[in-house]
Amino acid sequence: MSTAKRKAGNEAGASPSFKARLGIFEWKASPYLYVAPFFILFAIVGLFPLFYTAYIATRQYNTLTGDGGVAVCGATCGSDTPSIWANFAWVIHQESFWDALRNSFSIFLLSSVPQIIIALFLAWILNANLKAKTFWRMGVLLPYIVAPSAAGIIFSQIFSDKMGVINVVLTNLGMSPILWHANTFWSHVAIATIVNFRWTGYNTLIFLAALQAIPNDVLEAAVVDGAGAWRTFRSVVLPMLRPTLIFVIITSTIGGLQIFDEPQMFHNGTSGYGGPNRQYLTLSLYLWDMGFNKVTIGQPNLGRAAAVAWLLFLIIVFLAVLNFLITQRLASGGAPKASKEQLAGIKAQQEAEYEIARRSGVEARRAAGIVDGKEN
Amino acid sequence: MNKFKPALASVAVLAMIASLGACGESNSGGSSSADGKITIKVQTFNNPGFGKPTAERAGADLWNKYMKEHPNVKIEETVAASSDDARAAFNTAISTGSNAYDVYLAEVDWMPSLMAMPDQFVDLSSYTKDNDWVDWKKESATVNGKLIGAGTDIGPEAICYRADLLEKAGFPSDRESVAKWLGGENATWDSYFAAGKEYTEKTGLPWYDSMASNWQSMINQVEESYVTKDGKIIATSNDKIKEMYDELTSTKDLSAHLTQWSDDWNAAFKADDGFATIQCPTWLLTNIKGNTGEDFKGWDIADVFPGGGGNWGGSYLVVPESSPVKDEAAKLVAWLTAKDQQVALFTSANNYPSSVSAQESSDVSSKTDPYLNDAPVGQIFANRAKAYDIVPYKGSQYFDIQTKMVDALNRVDATQEQTPDASYKQWVNDVKALS
Repeated sequence: MSTAKRKAGNEAGASPSFKARLGIFEWKASPYLYVAPFFILFAIVGLFPLFYTAYIATRQYNTLTGDGGVAVCGATCGSDTPSIWANFAWVIHQESFWDALRNSFSIFLLSSVPQIIIALFLAWILNANLKAKTFWRMGVLLPYIVAPSAAGIIFSQIFSDKMGVINVVLTNLGMSPILWHANTFWSHVAIATIVNFRWTGYNTLIFLAALQAIPNDVLEAAVVDGAGAWRTFRSVVLPMLRPTLIFVIITSTIGGLQIFDEPQMFHNGTSGYGGPNRQYLTLSLYLWDMGFNKVTIGQPNLGRAAAVAWLLFLIIVFLAVLNFLITQRLASGGAPKASKEQLAGIKAQQEAEYEIARRSGVEARRAAGIVDGKEN
Repeated sequence: MNKFKPALASVAVLAMIASLGACGESNSGGSSSADGKITIKVQTFNNPGFGKPTAERAGADLWNKYMKEHPNVKIEETVAASSDDARAAFNTAISTGSNAYDVYLAEVDWMPSLMAMPDQFVDLSSYTKDNDWVDWKKESATVNGKLIGAGTDIGPEAICYRADLLEKAGFPSDRESVAKWLGGENATWDSYFAAGKEYTEKTGLPWYDSMASNWQSMINQVEESYVTKDGKIIATSNDKIKEMYDELTSTKDLSAHLTQWSDDWNAAFKADDGFATIQCPTWLLTNIKGNTGEDFKGWDIADVFPGGGGNWGGSYLVVPESSPVKDEAAKLVAWLTAKDQQVALFTSANNYPSSVSAQESSDVSSKTDPYLNDAPVGQIFANRAKAYDIVPYKGSQYFDIQTKMVDALNRVDATQEQTPDASYKQWVNDVKALS
């Protein structure tokens, strides 16, 4: 009896409830459908290559002849047993890999650190009340428009060992020329200069936007409190720039470790990229050269390059997380972050103070003959 | 119904994106266009001289000639900026089987890799029956009787020298005396370096540009250098290699310490303290002119080469098996590498013919070059080409080892950071790490 009733009720309401459910489904699903194009594209051109690279990294994959079975490390690590880790083992047995890692870090530090400091400084200047503001702001961004390879060609002329501008000036002054391509450190300085030339302006504009978002009353309050320029910058501006700072540092870490165009153009010649003694061989240059130039048949070159790519990916992820943590500390003004109990204590105190103020206000009004809620 | 519009729209967007992903491939299939013409896509690099001549680059205008003779064919040439770029595009196309191009210009350096996968390329032997290449050029592109590449030019080497600098230093500067001074018919590397020592001691100026360019010529005179014909790597145990390495590195004082193709190297061609001589394949003349400007007077060329003959560079045209128009493409390749076209390429651009009858034709042998003090370049390169009869064996590992050797020489010569012995030791380790 009761089951029959329920059944009947269901049948009666089937059509409207289906429509309603469809309506609800549409209501819930359409936002996801609207953002789906990005994620579908990302899955095709981002996620899929990422995992396919991981697969190739475990195989004996040659660029021209393709897959040759599970990877084998070979004579380099003295093992002929196939293993999915063999390409990784081969890579970490290579001196070139470690040199490339060292160079990537060195160039990254030499470019990112000065770049961010200079960008902050420039943004601070541009934020001041300058004449022809737009002109200066555009000027800062101008190098960013120059294509990396064009910048590379121009700078490789400046940093030529014999005919380069800098060395010609140095030798005319009676000093010994700098060996830009032979000396590891100086080659990094030269490449970092090319990077800084392009990216400082870009970061400056991002900082400038963040600076302008800082409300004036906060700064005025700091002035009223008697804080100097440095103190204001350190305790007010920097903490308020934190989200921007995190963004800039993480993007420049990723960009810095993937640096490719500049050392490739700096190389200035054909074959043997990164210098005869790997002075300025970076990780991405190393993996490109191995994956797409050194395609000797019989060598699993693409598999090994894929292994390098994955190692580079892991290093960047690790560094980005590390950066995030450090930046959070740095920009909170050096003070340790307040714990939950402390926050609760502060909140309780504020509430108590507010209660006292409210009550004293009520009492004062009563004393003045004003009835709560009504003006007269 | 209105309610469903957004959902429908989303589905439509999804479908569009899915189809976008799918349609990337389908374009390459139809190579014959709407007007019934067959399109042949060609990839080249640097300046092979096939195209229309412009102010910057010489050319024999061969595409237009072919299209006039074959009205049903349309040729599209893509010129890559460097052979590295061309190689990268070539590798991608061959490995993925996408028919990006129907004809590729392949540098001689690529051939060992190509020879290891002959199935990927069209056998050109039936198309090129009438093309008479020099034996070694044909041999270097033949696998088991299958001809996978049609030879374009070769790079016979002579010695180019700065007549102005030699004269200033008080040495004889005319072609015959210089050839005799460097050792004449029986010139050896010893006699070439001995002349250099005389020059450098007197002037303090460099004699050659870089050790790497000398090495390129020296190693090409050894039949089995790094790899034996049965595939064994003998690079580090070959006494001949060590001997040549020691001889070359002992002449460090004669070097200008430059890296080939660098800005400094380019600039040194017209500098007053530039190097006095350089090993000079035919096509390098274009680079020398480019680096000094047409009006520069001073470079000349001597009909001599140390250690017998030398060859540097030269290319092939290959047709991938996957090309939809491989028959037409192979016919084009055969025509481009035939005698008449090779003659035109030498007279308009500096690409020396690999065809015997083209080399013997009067247009080639009578060519003189006003830039090189009216030197009879046709005659000189004909002699130099005859002097070269070695076919060095280059196994597939050859170029990895050679790259490391050039690095080793650059550590001694260009960056001067290591002694020859230390650099050789590092090279031995590098070769071991290649496996």
